[in-house]
Amino acid sequence: MRDQIAKYAGKLFSDLSAVPGRIAFAAQDDVMLSDGNPTLARLCERVLSSLSCLGLVAARPSLPFADFLVRRAGAGESRIVPQDTETRTFLHDIPFLRREELGKDAAARIAGLLGNRKGIIAEGVGVVAAGTVTVEQAYINYSSVFHAAFVKYLLDVLTEGFLLPGEKEAFESFRRDWLRPLSAEGLVFRGGPLEEPEDILKEVSAVGRYTVERGLVDSFFGNLSCRAGDTIYISQTAASLDELAGRIDPVPMDNSSTTGITASTELLAHRRIYEESGARTVLHGHPKFAVVMSMLCEEKDCPVKDCWKDCDKVRLLGDTPVVAGEIGAGGLAKRVPPVIASPRKAVVYGHGVFTVGRTDFAEAFQSMIDVENWCRMEYFRRLTAKPPG
Amino acid sequence: MEKHPLAGWRGTLLHVDLSTGKSRAETIPRELLLGYLGGRGLGVRLCREAYTLDPFHPDMPLLFAVGPLCGTPAPTAARLAAVSRSPLTDTIYDCSAGGRFSHRLKAAGFDALRIVGRSPRPVALGITPEGAETLPAEALWGKTVGETVRALEGRGSVAAIGPAGENGVLFASILMGEGNAIGRGGLGAVMGGKNLKAIVVNGDRATGIADRGRFDRARQDVMRLFRASPVIFGELGISEYGTPALVDLMRQRRMAPTENFRKTVFEGSGNYSGPAIRKAYGAKNDGCFGCPIQCKKSDRDGMHLPEYETVSHFGALNGIDDLRAIVRSNALCNELGMDTISAAATLAAWGEGRGRFPGAGEVETLLADIGYRRGDGDLLARGSRRVAEALGNPALSMSVKSLELPAYDPRGAYGMALAYCTSNRGGCHLRAYPISHEILRKPVATDRFSLSGKARIIKIAEDTNAAVDSLVACKFSFFGATLEEYAELLAAVTGEEYGPQSLKEIGERIYLTERYYNCANGFDAKDDRLPERFFREPGSGGEGIEIPPIDEKRFEEELQKYYRIRGLTPQGTFPDSDFLSRLP
Repeated sequence: MRDQIAKYAGKLFSDLSAVPGRIAFAAQDDVMLSDGNPTLARLCERVLSSLSCLGLVAARPSLPFADFLVRRAGAGESRIVPQDTETRTFLHDIPFLRREELGKDAAARIAGLLGNRKGIIAEGVGVVAAGTVTVEQAYINYSSVFHAAFVKYLLDVLTEGFLLPGEKEAFESFRRDWLRPLSAEGLVFRGGPLEEPEDILKEVSAVGRYTVERGLVDSFFGNLSCRAGDTIYISQTAASLDELAGRIDPVPMDNSSTTGITASTELLAHRRIYEESGARTVLHGHPKFAVVMSMLCEEKDCPVKDCWKDCDKVRLLGDTPVVAGEIGAGGLAKRVPPVIASPRKAVVYGHGVFTVGRTDFAEAFQSMIDVENWCRMEYFRRLTAKPPG
Repeated sequence: MEKHPLAGWRGTLLHVDLSTGKSRAETIPRELLLGYLGGRGLGVRLCREAYTLDPFHPDMPLLFAVGPLCGTPAPTAARLAAVSRSPLTDTIYDCSAGGRFSHRLKAAGFDALRIVGRSPRPVALGITPEGAETLPAEALWGKTVGETVRALEGRGSVAAIGPAGENGVLFASILMGEGNAIGRGGLGAVMGGKNLKAIVVNGDRATGIADRGRFDRARQDVMRLFRASPVIFGELGISEYGTPALVDLMRQRRMAPTENFRKTVFEGSGNYSGPAIRKAYGAKNDGCFGCPIQCKKSDRDGMHLPEYETVSHFGALNGIDDLRAIVRSNALCNELGMDTISAAATLAAWGEGRGRFPGAGEVETLLADIGYRRGDGDLLARGSRRVAEALGNPALSMSVKSLELPAYDPRGAYGMALAYCTSNRGGCHLRAYPISHEILRKPVATDRFSLSGKARIIKIAEDTNAAVDSLVACKFSFFGATLEEYAELLAAVTGEEYGPQSLKEIGERIYLTERYYNCANGFDAKDDRLPERFFREPGSGGEGIEIPPIDEKRFEEELQKYYRIRGLTPQGTFPDSDFLSRLP
């Protein structure tokens, strides 16, 4: 298990979601193991010893947004409720402990909350997340909390402004130091159309890795596929896109085999996109600014309350259509294919971006970069145009 | 009788003594409901005074217990557990089934039905809110399950045995009227031993929900996760194709037990894959009452179609690729009231022993002989372990604790291998269900060819599933949802706060209680053993996948880790004798 701890500590570092040196994991087999920051490692061990889980991570997020959300929450509140799809579907809400609530036995308090949820925020400590089955699962839950806090904080800042001392400065630091220019520069794509299974498998693996390296997905979310003839080669469900070798399912278009039962949740969406657009590749990521911007709606007096699943309008972010729809069999597969054929890109409310390539992945990847860069620029334009606070 | 203070539960069990024909309603103590939930947990707890009795002893109870979610629109919760001691395995045994019967038992006002004694003549039980009525059933004795159900269904929902249960077939099942089976472990023989042909239940009492708004939100959360699960509602998932959706996957993973586990690939499996069954039979939805998944399928005329384990064991395990013959075998088992997995696996062990697996045309005759205990069927009715011993070659039985292994070869999933051994009811895939993460990648994927961490993972999953079996919910729900959402449903229904951690602690209590019962009956580490074949012979490697024998030394290390995690001795037993006294 130590190799797993080292691997996922490295991922928290490389995906810029945790402060180096402020990361610790614990895992229990027949003995308890921990590694990382000594104080956090001790905390992890004590928390995990109270839980029926295999792994635990505690780390200080690289951005202070989670702590800000806690401090911005009303006095009687004990959880934040981000509205993005990952939270709605998998986390439901994120409980938190204020600094003064941690008390003398912070481990017991944290364990109490983690007995009911996958991840929590402990103010001044960081995000603590558990994995029932694997260390990886703890990392995934940490990553989801980080992603949800990022999205909610950026939305809150845009609508409510800065409310606390130090927020504005921290936000400027985030924009200046944490954000990196986003491009496809330096990446090499195989020219299409791709026909040979071996070439396709290698290219899907490579592009999956690019998607992670450029920050277009978090944890194990996102998926991609390539169509060749009557077969869709698609990433498997719960597969990290930077580790796709051996995790790509060939699925016949006519459903004559069910080996693809392990394929991505979005297999149906991919299939329909191929049927409607004639594309050869489909890429789906969760770039953060696109997720944030998709949730801004200026519709007045709209009767729809659960916008993320019930809104039937097609809005626009620049020239990119935005539609609503739950993941999997819940609606996204119906609403994305009709709007993606012409612009070759679409955003799903609170969820992420789909792009397609007519011959290969280069076009799809560049298109996703462009959508995210447009959304990033538009976010800061709006922030500047209507200074918060 | 005092009014029970808890929502969700009825707080009442119906006790029936078939020896005297008398029955009475009893209050179930509040701490037992809170601490064991219902279903499997409650049933196991209610066996505490009887667990050392022989399975066929008249005082050995046969329990049918529903859970606190039954009677509500909680997804997949119209289920019950039947609990007794298995005549096949000699372990404490529970088996879960869906259908209206559970719903109506709860609506009649009972969380559990406890049946003891032995009727002097064949009877059926009629259960209503007023209590139990003994109905003469001499005319039904000898009838098939379908004939029995049709004779009684005018009175309510039926649970019945067929000739196999009457004749003491050690893997006889109990069938619900809609075709759901309390399939494994031979509880149908326990019912037959009591001269009880059928139970018919009716009632119309609604189950209250303490917090309707909270319940609706939690239900929406569950359904959202179902829709996000490719295994459940994906276009290649079990809602579309039923569990035979797994046939192609197990073939591709090279872990489909073939010819009594001598091989792990059967080239003819495409004949009974999910798409093949749909093409041949239509495969319309015919799933459990109130279940949104509807994984059970039937043909255009309403005949139930076989599930994955059944098609694979009547198929690959016996070297048969004739879909029509497999479907007929399934139908015959259902009419005779026999577990399809044990029936097919016993035939395969016998076939290997005699040097020839039964052909497609032979199986039906053999199944009928088993059900009526004629000819070779009299021996085969005792299950594969006893058959193999009678043939002088015990290694032929591919079983753990005498329960025949289902259709996941342990050489293709090492967590599954360990879980077969640690299962309290013998070689069952559903106690920890590591196929979920080792093959289906839910909730996350684990390395199927590694034992690293598996002892802890199996322990956690066993506890989780013991809680699930006590709610009672279907395991397939957890290809999408988690205990988080089901704990919320439970809290909303009962008004009592539960969370995933507290449910796992309840599950641990249930699991250890079962283990304690088994140890008291002589079970220990020697019984937590896989058949030797899996440590000595490889499976069918190819296509870049090797299926080597399992490393026995490494396997034993992980088993010892498991015992340490469970707080057991190296022999797999309890370090103290007063364990039960510390539990509610």
